[in-house]
Amino acid sequence: MFPGARAFPEGELTLMKEDPQENEKSAAASVLGPGAVPIVLRVNGETHPLLVEPRTTLAEALRGSLGLTGTKIACNQGACSACSVWLDDLVVASCSILAIEVGERRITTIEGLAAGGRLHPVQEAFIAHDAVQCGFCTPGLVMSCAALLAGNPHPGEAEIQTAISGHLCRCGTYPHVVQAILALADAKGD
Amino acid sequence: MDDEFPRRREKFPFGLAHLGLDEVEREIPADEPPPLAPNAALTQIGKDIRRWDAWAKVTGAARYTVDVHLPGMLHAAVLRSPLPHARIRSLDLSPAASAPGVHAALTVVEPPADGVPTVLRYVGQPVAALAADTPALAEAALRLIQVEYEPLPFVVDLDGARRPDAPIVYPDSEWQKSPSAGLPAAAGDLPITGNIRGPESKGSRGDIGAGFAAAEIVVDGTYHTQVQTHCCLEPHAIVAAWHEGGLDVWMSTQFTAGVRAQLARHFQLPLSRVRVRAEAVGGGFGSKSQIGIYGRTAVALSRLAKVPIRLVYRRDEEQMDSGNRPSSEQHLRIGARRDGTLTALSLHSYGSAGIAFGAGVGNMATALYRCPHVESRQYDVFTHAGPACPMRGPGNTQGAFALEQGIDELAGKLAMDPLALRDVIDPSPVRREERRMGAERIGWTQRKPPGADQGPVKRGMGMAQSLWSANIQTNAACELRLWRDGRVEVLSSVQDIGTGVGTVLAQVVAEELGLQPEDIHVRIGDTEFPSGPPSYGSRTTASITPPARTAAWQIKEALFRSVASAWQVDPQRLTVQDGWIHLRDEPQQRISWREAAAALRTDRISAFAGRSDDYAGFRSRSGDAAMALNDLGGVQFAEVAVDTETGVIRVERVVAVQDCGRPINPLQIESQVQGGVLMGVSYALLEERILDTNTGWMLNPNLVDYKLTGAWDTPQIEVVLLENYQGFSATDAYGIAEPANIATAAAIANAVYNAIGVRMRSLPMTPAKVLHALGAVSGGPR
Amino acid sequence: MEAFQWQQARSPAEAAALVTQTTAEAMLTLQGTPSAQQAILVKAGGVDMLDLMKEGLVNPRRLVDISRLAELQGISREGDDSLRIGALTTLAQIAAHPGLRQSHAALAQAAAMAASPQIRNRATLGGNLLQRPRCWYLRSAAHHCLRKGGGHCFAFAGDNRYHAIFANHGCAIVHPSTPATALLAFHAQVELLHPQGQRRQVPLEDFFVLPEADMHRENILAAGEILTAVWLPPQIQTNRSIYLQVAEREAFDWPLAAVAVVVDLDAAGLCQRASIVLGAVAPAPWRARQAEALLTGATINGKTAEAAGEAALAGATPLAQNAYKLPLLATLVRRAVLAAAALPQDPRAS
Ligand SMILES: Cc1cc2nc3c(=O)[nH]c(=O)nc-3n(C[C@H](O)[C@H](O)[C@H](O)COP(=O)(O)OP(=O)(O)OC[C@H]3O[C@@H](n4cnc5c(N)ncnc54)[C@H](O)[C@@H]3O)c2cc1C
Ligand code: SF4
Ligand code: FES
Ligand code: FES
Repeated sequence: MFPGARAFPEGELTLMKEDPQENEKSAAASVLGPGAVPIVLRVNGETHPLLVEPRTTLAEALRGSLGLTGTKIACNQGACSACSVWLDDLVVASCSILAIEVGERRITTIEGLAAGGRLHPVQEAFIAHDAVQCGFCTPGLVMSCAALLAGNPHPGEAEIQTAISGHLCRCGTYPHVVQAILALADAKGD
Repeated sequence: MDDEFPRRREKFPFGLAHLGLDEVEREIPADEPPPLAPNAALTQIGKDIRRWDAWAKVTGAARYTVDVHLPGMLHAAVLRSPLPHARIRSLDLSPAASAPGVHAALTVVEPPADGVPTVLRYVGQPVAALAADTPALAEAALRLIQVEYEPLPFVVDLDGARRPDAPIVYPDSEWQKSPSAGLPAAAGDLPITGNIRGPESKGSRGDIGAGFAAAEIVVDGTYHTQVQTHCCLEPHAIVAAWHEGGLDVWMSTQFTAGVRAQLARHFQLPLSRVRVRAEAVGGGFGSKSQIGIYGRTAVALSRLAKVPIRLVYRRDEEQMDSGNRPSSEQHLRIGARRDGTLTALSLHSYGSAGIAFGAGVGNMATALYRCPHVESRQYDVFTHAGPACPMRGPGNTQGAFALEQGIDELAGKLAMDPLALRDVIDPSPVRREERRMGAERIGWTQRKPPGADQGPVKRGMGMAQSLWSANIQTNAACELRLWRDGRVEVLSSVQDIGTGVGTVLAQVVAEELGLQPEDIHVRIGDTEFPSGPPSYGSRTTASITPPARTAAWQIKEALFRSVASAWQVDPQRLTVQDGWIHLRDEPQQRISWREAAAALRTDRISAFAGRSDDYAGFRSRSGDAAMALNDLGGVQFAEVAVDTETGVIRVERVVAVQDCGRPINPLQIESQVQGGVLMGVSYALLEERILDTNTGWMLNPNLVDYKLTGAWDTPQIEVVLLENYQGFSATDAYGIAEPANIATAAAIANAVYNAIGVRMRSLPMTPAKVLHALGAVSGGPR
Repeated sequence: MEAFQWQQARSPAEAAALVTQTTAEAMLTLQGTPSAQQAILVKAGGVDMLDLMKEGLVNPRRLVDISRLAELQGISREGDDSLRIGALTTLAQIAAHPGLRQSHAALAQAAAMAASPQIRNRATLGGNLLQRPRCWYLRSAAHHCLRKGGGHCFAFAGDNRYHAIFANHGCAIVHPSTPATALLAFHAQVELLHPQGQRRQVPLEDFFVLPEADMHRENILAAGEILTAVWLPPQIQTNRSIYLQVAEREAFDWPLAAVAVVVDLDAAGLCQRASIVLGAVAPAPWRARQAEALLTGATINGKTAEAAGEAALAGATPLAQNAYKLPLLATLVRRAVLAAAALPQDPRAS
């Protein structure tokens, strides 16, 4: 029944790579703050040096210092996912991460999704299926859906629902969001 | 009516489109366009046109009030009452006012003076506010404000507040200063005893005793509905900039023009000196209709600090102090004859809007069905809780939960199909048709008797109806501009809070001008433009599309006159299609829209139109608001699965059959209806503002424990839309946002009854309540 | 949120040496307002930490961030076939791990059901086990309750619909960790690194603390101690496991009640060993010992499963508003036992 219990794949050690240089650097850094600290954020392919207090959340840094107001804050508590951005390839709630801990990881926000002025297919699909009402939850939903498709070009309905299960949309766009992504998943079928 | 203006007679399409249309003759103002053909004959109206601001919203470019950043802007924070009832003995702002980074501070309540005490009446009530360089500095400075509170006895629950010895919320007639929560603000002179004010008995008629005496069957039930909060994803937000020339405000509001009027009045400024903007608004649902204390506070801080002030609510402030849907306890009795005709209907309701009034729920019970003897007694019960305010279908949504279950129960007792019973008692031909269509779509004939399923998971089907008035704002206008380069702009202060009114305006104008919707530049959400209607009361489309069409028609006529004089023909011979103006009888004689515009005498011509009265008149009007002769219907069907061992209700499918006069954008309407249904599912199963009876605090002032439906809780929602023509206005379009929300919870409750054979008379229908109702729990409260 | 200092730890040992208090200790105050910013606290994913700090429930002087420490990441198989899950392994990694999904299905299922995808991508297993409870009085700075050093519990006379029905004397929190329910069913151990450098392994069961023992903490973590890993003892090939929960929302909701079941069936279908752990009903993940005993040596069928469900309720002392958790639990246990043994859910259901 559970053959996998024995045949546990070896080498599943998902260790982060040790980087001696990285260790050197952090040795020098030690205690920072509580006042503003210089950091560098890599956002949408650009590098931004900025000053943040350690208590500044990533959402605040994006919206405030960088003026990237497409990322929305609705609950500030991890409960609505309106503030979703990508941290490398993972969708995360930027209200529940500190800017100072992002480090060298790449941040992608809604502003960075439309490459060279061309909308991402998810954005196109949202428009075509009217998966937008007041639009306040929309950037977060778009980020989640785009991340889903990046890892799984043909998601089924349940996978889409799970991918957006952290989002709250008071206007009730879920049915059209699911419809939009299903259409994309089908369209991508070859 | 506007007798001094010339009028003419026209024939309009009339009736439900899918059943075949009649004609009706109406007298209309001479400066309004001829009747619009039914949707089937149109190219833009009635089509699924893409949302005008979707691009901005999916790219993050849309600018909401929370995104507005002005140079020199300060951040405001509000000190709130930590006690549900208290007297302020002393209040000293000075330590905060002189704190680092603080530039202005003021008291929000009247500070105590010469023996006149300041009384606070709910946890979260604003006490004072200040503005500082950063939000963090502002929050930190709040702690420096010195307030001495004298705690007073309090009561936050409906039962407690009705006890004879209950702590009193308002002594004497102080309640009259309280805000109104609901429908026709029953502000008038009603008796008040302790915390109970009322009854308000609008809609009562006949002799209730005689009615019940004539009844052969009586059903009787008590229903409870909870307090629901709006939970707009964008919190309440304002950026106010007081300057030499007047006042500039950005606000997340449902009514820019209304906010302007309120600000002008409050700060004694000329209307023309106040500008209110709302570029994108992240939801409202009734809670963003007024300037509110927070809005006035931000403006006052700006006047004091002489710089722009930003005030944005945190989620907990949003939950505790931005309004809510009042609770209700409804005692409903219905008497009927064996053939189903109603003889008597009595609804006694107690509801709490906290410190506000207007918790009545009587509209549905008094108006939906034919019944000669009706007794409505609506009581407001004041509690030490945050004030309610209108919320999507105020009153009717609560009322439907009781009334539509009562009718369902009556049908059961009469051994009649609930649809057949309604055919007997519901006078509306539109709803009759909606019942028929909905029944067909959901497969009503498959419906089983209550509790018929074997096994722990039982499925059921139920339906419920809604009633909403078709509302109009008469103070609603727009301007149409045609520029020499051919650009067309439609301008109004009307705001798009997610309803898609901008798209609808573009469609109406494009239809009239023979252009594409994307050719129309929609400029709205700014009081520099003609005053538009509010985005509440399901009245926006109904109020603004007729003037938009009229203005477009007038611009077209002007352009035709210009072309006609060049061609030396009668302008009557011109028409426009696909961007070309041509002679009706000689289509090859033509000129493009652009070229025609280029020949205008001036750089720009403009037409201004306001909302005229409905062509058949209004049922009633008060101030800027009027009610059309028709009502908005709506019938919803729900299919549920109830796990009787866990109490979990899963709503699997909802069929919503709705009408809104002439549908302008079916896709956007579908979105709206899905939203209404989802809010109803959420109300039915999850949402509840929970106040601690011992401390008066809200225990779930967040979006974690205050639960909203997520994607996984979403049923399959099918929207069936009627086209209902009545020849009432230049577009004949009415609203839909509220009717789509009213019937949902009741339809679900009826489906739950059908599934398990037990009636759920209390919202939300949580697993705990279902298990209790099924008798699976020994002990414990309801 | 108050301002604080930031320090990136270079090793678990350094973190242990730096940290001065547990978060629970830092939340204890006499007056109700955490005033003196004394504590140096450790932060992993930060999901709970930031939540507590935003509400002003804890105002550390400094946060020591361990979230980037390589030593604490990853899932590995050790010599004796036990599994070591680094404390920083995220719930998303656990939920998606192909090996775990087979060998420890209940754990992967529990991790997948906790919170949202966004949170699972950040939430670490260590932080999840050490997060503070969700009691709404505890989470509200306005309610200075027993667990924060105050004089009384607000839940008993207040709203206790989501509170504990077992071991709820004095304080009625339910343990917030969803994965913990499953971990306990697999007899997991936590590995702790002491500031003085000693490592110790503690069975999860002994790690958690009930209110009757100490009202102010949920576990025995000592100040400065770092949770470095969770160990899962080797599994028997025949074991089958499942995690089930009931919540008000279909997804992204805290359970009203939950259960993790692990059973070993022999060739004849007799249950050799059963581990049944209840979640969201007690201040710690709660072993239903009577139910376990009842199944051991028995054939699993509708009857025994039902009896196990009833037995799981032994000792429950529901409060005014949460008696509904009893039938819920009985159902969950019955269903989980049957599902773990791969029998039809419910003979009456079909
Ligand atoms: C909206 C929402 C819904 C949620 N739903 C669920 C749910 O359904 N089920 C569930 O289980 N959880 C749920 N959570 C909680 C979430 O899973 C936890 O907050 C998260 O797992 C904490 O992990 P972290 O790494 O972010 O911990 P942190 O916030 O970094 O730390 C939490 C605590 O543990 C301490 N700590 C962390 N790591 C260590 C270590 N290695 N050694 C010593 N001390 C340490 C910290 O000092 C702190 O006190 C939910 C959270 C939110 C916001
Ligand atoms: S249950 Fe525990 S945490 Fe909650 S109020 Fe009571 S003592 Fe505090
Ligand atoms: S704002 Fe970050 S999750 Fe809600
Ligand atoms: S579109 Fe308004 S909240 Fe989602």
